[in-house]
Amino acid sequence: MSTPRDDRARLEREERWRQLMRAAQDGDTAAYAALLSEILPVLRRFVAYRWPSAPDVEDIVQEVLLSVHTVRHTYDLARPFMPWLMTIAMRRTIDAARRRTARSANETTVDIMPETFSRSDTKNEQETSDDQEAIRRALAQLPDGQRQAVELMKVRGLSLQEASAVTGKSVASLKVSVHRGLKTMREVLKRETQ
Amino acid sequence: MNSEELIRRLAASAKPVRRLPHPMWRAMMWFVLSLTYAAVLVFVLGLRADFSVRIAEPRFLIELSAAILTSMMAAAAAFCSTCPGRPLWERLAPFPFLLVWLASLGEGCWRDWTLHGVQSLAIQLEFSCFWKIVATSAAPLILILLMVRRGAPIAPYLTTGLATLAAAALVAAGMLLFHQQESSVMVLVWQFGSVLVLSGFAALFGRHVLYWRTVDMRSLDNQTTPHC
Repeated sequence: MSTPRDDRARLEREERWRQLMRAAQDGDTAAYAALLSEILPVLRRFVAYRWPSAPDVEDIVQEVLLSVHTVRHTYDLARPFMPWLMTIAMRRTIDAARRRTARSANETTVDIMPETFSRSDTKNEQETSDDQEAIRRALAQLPDGQRQAVELMKVRGLSLQEASAVTGKSVASLKVSVHRGLKTMREVLKRETQ
Repeated sequence: MNSEELIRRLAASAKPVRRLPHPMWRAMMWFVLSLTYAAVLVFVLGLRADFSVRIAEPRFLIELSAAILTSMMAAAAAFCSTCPGRPLWERLAPFPFLLVWLASLGEGCWRDWTLHGVQSLAIQLEFSCFWKIVATSAAPLILILLMVRRGAPIAPYLTTGLATLAAAALVAAGMLLFHQQESSVMVLVWQFGSVLVLSGFAALFGRHVLYWRTVDMRSLDNQTTPHC
């Protein structure tokens, strides 16, 4: 049960965060850094409480921070800050849980990896190195745009939207670049093996 | 990257932002623009032949008002649903008006049935109604979707459904003025039904329309760490 002192402290904190958010919306970077630093432990506690078995609490907290950053213009100064923050935190935690469920539905945990070849040394280090070199050569032959798209999404493992943010290109254009890039690489590798 | 480092980079890259206007103000802006569009549409297509007779009927007025109010409240609810921390009842605001609209159509069906018997409830295939609503609601729908995208995508399915309901209900209200239907049941199925089907269908694409924007990590990476 909360005491009047707890309630007063909560109200003071709410007011302080509201003022920091107002300053942050106006471009005060120090106020923004202070606000994000103060809400960080609250978000950690919230995510850990809402999803106790979450394997990656810190990742979800960072997603919440990024979301707060992208929608900070939606905070209405006339309304309390905590419900605004908690709605975003709740939404992003649910999104993370949903993503994880979807991912685990397509994965199977196995104790022993099934063998596809009778000998474990079917592919030796030399061959692996040769393959990598061939891929590197094929990649180098691509036009700049296609090479960048393939490197970001297939080598560094970025999503389409992340790659779009990095390159400034549209998602559709990146899809086309990756598709064409991979097609060209396949043809180059095929020519090399022949 | 740890969270403290992320905070430092986010704060360093933060620029002043333009605060989102109040949802009611945004809803009003959309409604005025879309109402102008609907008025132009009615002007171009012309009023229905029996308009002077129908406008004197209280049931027609209730039906028309309910459709317009559903549109207005659905727009307000769509905008409210993109503002985190707002109360839930705001998102449910259009549904009482939707029920009044349904009730007025239901009463019309019942009256037709008592006056003309079962044949008054016969439904003819009139897909043109559906396509007219789809075509004419495209402009207000695109406008409201562009406007709601400025908000936070905390309930993408609901927001998209409500936005479509707002656009389709407004066009359906306009259709009551220029499109003559033989019976209430036809209005119920082909106009009210189309509005519901469209809203439900659009809601399925909520996640594709409204999604969390990614932060340009490259611009954050460019923020250099100050050396002491």
